[in-house]
Amino acid sequence: MVKLTIDGVPITAPKGTLVIEAARQAGIMIPHFCYHPKLKWDANCRMCLVEIERVPKLQTSCSTPVAEGMVVRTATTAVTQAHKSVLEFILANHPLDCPVCDQGGRCDLQDFSHEYTPTTSRFIEVKRIFPKEYFSALIETQMNRCVQCLRCVRYCDEVMDVKALAPAGRGTMTEIKHFTHHELDCEFCGGCVQICPVGAITSRLSMYEYRPWMLKRADTICTYCGDGCQITIQTKENKLIEVNTAHGAGRNNGDLCARGFFGYHASTHPDRLQHPLVRRNGELVQATWEEALGFVAETCIRLKMEHGAEAFAGLIASRCTNEDLYVFQKFMRLAIGTNRIDSSARYGQINGVRALRRVQGTHRWAVTFEDIVAADALLLVGTNITETNPITGLKVKEAVKKRTATLLTVDALVPAVGTISNIANLAAHHFPVHPDRFGHVVLGLIKAVVEDGLVDQALAHRAPAYVQAIGDAVQALSWPALESATGTTSGALREAARIFARAARGVVLVGQGVLRSPGGYGLTTNLLDLLLLTGQHGRPGCGLAPLAEENNDQGAVEMGTVAEYLPGPCDLNDPTARERIAGLWKEELPKGPGRTLTETLEEARTGKVKAMFVVGENPVGSLPHAARAKDALAQLELLVCQELFLTETAALAHVVLPACSYAEKDGSFTNTEGLVQPVRRAIEPIGESRPDWEILSALSVLMGYPIEYGDAKEILKEIRSLIPGYGLLGAGPNPPRPDEAVVSRYLREGYAEDLANRYAATQPTEKRTGHFTLLVTQSLFHSGKFSTRSTGLLEIQNTGVLGLNPADAARLGVTDGDRVRVSNTLGELTAPIKLLERIPEGLAVFPEHFDEEARRLLGVSTDPQTRVPYCKSAQVVIEKL
Amino acid sequence: MLQEKYKTEIDEILSRYPVRRSAMLPLLTMAQREEGYVSEAAMKEIASILRVTPPQVYETVTFYTMLNLKPIGTFHIQVCKSLMCALVGSDSLLVWLQARLGIKPGETTPDRLFTLSTVECLASCGTGPMMQVNDDYYERLTEEKVDRILADLKRDGTSPLKSGPFILPEPEGAHG
Amino acid sequence: MAKSLKSWLKTITFYEILVGMKATLKHLLHYKPITLQYPHEKRTLPDSYRGMLALLRYDDGTEKCVGCDLCEAACPSRVIKVVSAEVPGEPTKRYAKEYYMDMTRCLFCGLCVDACPVDALGMTREYEWAVYDKRQLYLNKQQLLAIGDRSFPVREKKLELQHLNVAFFNVAFKHLPPKEG
Repeated sequence: MVKLTIDGVPITAPKGTLVIEAARQAGIMIPHFCYHPKLKWDANCRMCLVEIERVPKLQTSCSTPVAEGMVVRTATTAVTQAHKSVLEFILANHPLDCPVCDQGGRCDLQDFSHEYTPTTSRFIEVKRIFPKEYFSALIETQMNRCVQCLRCVRYCDEVMDVKALAPAGRGTMTEIKHFTHHELDCEFCGGCVQICPVGAITSRLSMYEYRPWMLKRADTICTYCGDGCQITIQTKENKLIEVNTAHGAGRNNGDLCARGFFGYHASTHPDRLQHPLVRRNGELVQATWEEALGFVAETCIRLKMEHGAEAFAGLIASRCTNEDLYVFQKFMRLAIGTNRIDSSARYGQINGVRALRRVQGTHRWAVTFEDIVAADALLLVGTNITETNPITGLKVKEAVKKRTATLLTVDALVPAVGTISNIANLAAHHFPVHPDRFGHVVLGLIKAVVEDGLVDQALAHRAPAYVQAIGDAVQALSWPALESATGTTSGALREAARIFARAARGVVLVGQGVLRSPGGYGLTTNLLDLLLLTGQHGRPGCGLAPLAEENNDQGAVEMGTVAEYLPGPCDLNDPTARERIAGLWKEELPKGPGRTLTETLEEARTGKVKAMFVVGENPVGSLPHAARAKDALAQLELLVCQELFLTETAALAHVVLPACSYAEKDGSFTNTEGLVQPVRRAIEPIGESRPDWEILSALSVLMGYPIEYGDAKEILKEIRSLIPGYGLLGAGPNPPRPDEAVVSRYLREGYAEDLANRYAATQPTEKRTGHFTLLVTQSLFHSGKFSTRSTGLLEIQNTGVLGLNPADAARLGVTDGDRVRVSNTLGELTAPIKLLERIPEGLAVFPEHFDEEARRLLGVSTDPQTRVPYCKSAQVVIEKL
Repeated sequence: MLQEKYKTEIDEILSRYPVRRSAMLPLLTMAQREEGYVSEAAMKEIASILRVTPPQVYETVTFYTMLNLKPIGTFHIQVCKSLMCALVGSDSLLVWLQARLGIKPGETTPDRLFTLSTVECLASCGTGPMMQVNDDYYERLTEEKVDRILADLKRDGTSPLKSGPFILPEPEGAHG
Repeated sequence: MAKSLKSWLKTITFYEILVGMKATLKHLLHYKPITLQYPHEKRTLPDSYRGMLALLRYDDGTEKCVGCDLCEAACPSRVIKVVSAEVPGEPTKRYAKEYYMDMTRCLFCGLCVDACPVDALGMTREYEWAVYDKRQLYLNKQQLLAIGDRSFPVREKKLELQHLNVAFFNVAFKHLPPKEG
């Protein structure tokens, strides 16, 4: 620690702290434009000059580290004079157009001008003018206002690793451009808009709709992925105006992605359901809440009398709040009396949770975002993290770029520099493999660990049988077979294994490419084996982190809205847990079995299930045609949907009840790292829509099993009483430690049951010539189907475009924008193509958000252990149209 | 297409630098030598060679007045507008040139003979106002001198009024 | 004695009352009515009279208003509602797409006129705004511009792009010649 004095205040700061930061911590604000705590200092604006004793000239406080005994003065005549001169220079060119500038009212330059400058300028020269063209659909620049602090350019490079902004020209004529006269084409994270100290870069989406003083703010959580970013929704007269976030706020620390920053309009889309709909004479017609709920309750009671409670099933989207999820399962278990509940966590998250529970006895990550940043070695398997979980991706980028962590990636995509970031570019070792061969790389790594003597000695001592068994299993694999499957050399695998094993802190991130693909559960368990073998498991700051796709996937598991768990999560058949929950609920729990999504649909098809409650989930629109969800749901005698929009599933329903979106309700979401964060209402409910839990609560009353709450907080209180230590709404998560008893059991016997399966290098299906592997993946600019109602995101991407490697495209004789026919035995689709160098040859990537057609092509397979439906890839033929 | 044509030269340039993107200026100079200016396609290609994004190449090009983003005329007249020349009248010289050529800085005459641009200090402060035409310096300029230079250039493609030749490469025997 | 006579005379002639009523009696004799026969006769208004509000135009007929919302912020009684937007085809140029004034609430304080950075608001000398339906006092942009047109026939010249030392203001820089370089 260094002792210094700033403006007479004695301060201690850690060595290396900049004077400007030390002053901020002491409550002394030094004006600045170019400095930002997230960025490396640039000291180009000269606004933060301070006087330092025994230094002859004024110093920029943003670039001067503190020194022992330093005496800094920030408010002397010389400093004030310097502020005046700097501002006079800036204002020599800055137009006085504050009245028409969106930043007016919250502009650094405005504030500092008021504080430091005289009202007149000595400059009579003509101000600088840049001709203006539209910059992009979502981000607009007004370069006349630019103070050339280059924060946007540095943010784009240092934090986002996108490098899409260029300071073109020199001197006063420097302007922020993209590439020559092209419109901006980038990730549209909105970071440049947020970080601009003046109004030079603004959002086009809310342009001129507001003045800052008119806005009402609500701090809430973004719903577009599992990262759980805190956003501030700003509203004016019950209209969504803009979204931003503050530096230091939430897990995202003030960073957002395109979805968070520009995707907010989906909640107020004109297609939102505003009234309950009831099917009369085969058509859905508007009804009152009383009619709709009365009809549902009546039919439920009748069906329960006729067929019993086991004829009911429930399905809920893990986009709902914890409160909704909790009330839903309680409603299904008590008011209906069935355990046939599942949620969209079934699509993949459950694989990660089941593996974690099996090996280490936790259902949450044992690591946090901070641990990712602090890691020495990061292994990313099957995740295009910058697109699916962009903010977790930022943590990885920070670890690599600022903390020089070593990044190892295993993914289908290949490194290619472009103005959309690609995590493979930062990797020390990237293993570009076909999406069904991630497992081979992991097996190769484990083999290298075993063969090169990198196995943790403590583990070898603790569980010799386990190490021996795995050693035998990987010895059975031959290097040439692995090499041919992965297309890499044993040397590279050995090197990567060595880096990971020797790292002081190793974190494994596993994404949708694994969790939503065949063998996902086994591969996740193998990755835990890798952590165990290298001794990374159980060490603080090390562990496995399965990335959740939906904002509350984690909450859906914890609230017990999956087939195998009660709230907690506790196993459905765990007698002690059942007893405890029954005691708190003062009601017996139903004895029947849980049923997963695919099983439920099968039972509906065979007529065993007669009635279903579907809350926010859309199996018809999410599963491929091969899953025949539509046929199954059409068999039902009662299908009740609680929805925001009339989705494919809701269109089949007998009753559709309008629900509130996240912007209209209170509650909480649990993010991918297991932090429960508050969701707050920003606008009044649209039309007659109500929060999901309120609807279920009202239904339960009508059915004679009242489950009533005053507000969402009461539900959270009940959840807390049910789950010990739940939801301490803190600033950061308190990750659980692996349960040593469970780890020991796994090492003793748990590993053995499917060892042979997990360590078998399945001969990958040889690709037939001319065939492509079609991957239906998440795009950076969308999340599920909800975001496809957002005007902002549709500006960036509004159709399904098939991504292809340029070499493949050349072979097919097509180029950017041409339409192609994609077909296989199940069906066909036509789509325009886009050439992307990051896509390897033989692969075609299609966004799942526009997959109405593409879903015809996909088959479905189900995981034998976790019953996860895998339906994200297919073998197809592509032809030029 | 640079890569196809100058593969060995590019490899040689890249081998000179420990950090790949340091090769940007030599490659840009090569691109300009090839086409007379740096085209968008060239910038994209250089970006992919250096594994940076096209905007990063573009920002470098815009910084240097020696790199042109547009095709230029046969004679590229670069007038120094820095302080020393400004004090001895580079601005009136520029006005004179503009009037004579009928173009503004940054433009090319319709006959594609002359391109006029203003540049920063050309390190000939003692002999201002001065300008550089292609690779030749013209110093202590006056309006009459400029007229003669323009006429000479138009007629002969060069002018005896240019300074130099300078001593680079060193004349033989300079070191005895 | 003489004094008492004088006071007696004053008493019987009601002298004090006459003194007190001097002004009244004078006016009684020179009769000149003060009441104006209003619809037929009108008072001269003082120069600083603050009447009906109006939106103004420049001499080329373009609206002065840039839709900055500052009048709305300045208004103490929430008369004004501005809906601003970007001028189609002219990047980042701002204008008031809609502009409403609820004159039933207006105090005629003139703070909006003071707040306007482009002098787009004016206070006319109109005051005859009695209506049968008060909804008619909810004026939109066209009505306000019409008031301005009839009350301020002489229009200001448009602000030049560059006003020395002041600002260039709300100009779409689309059609400028490209910068030198």
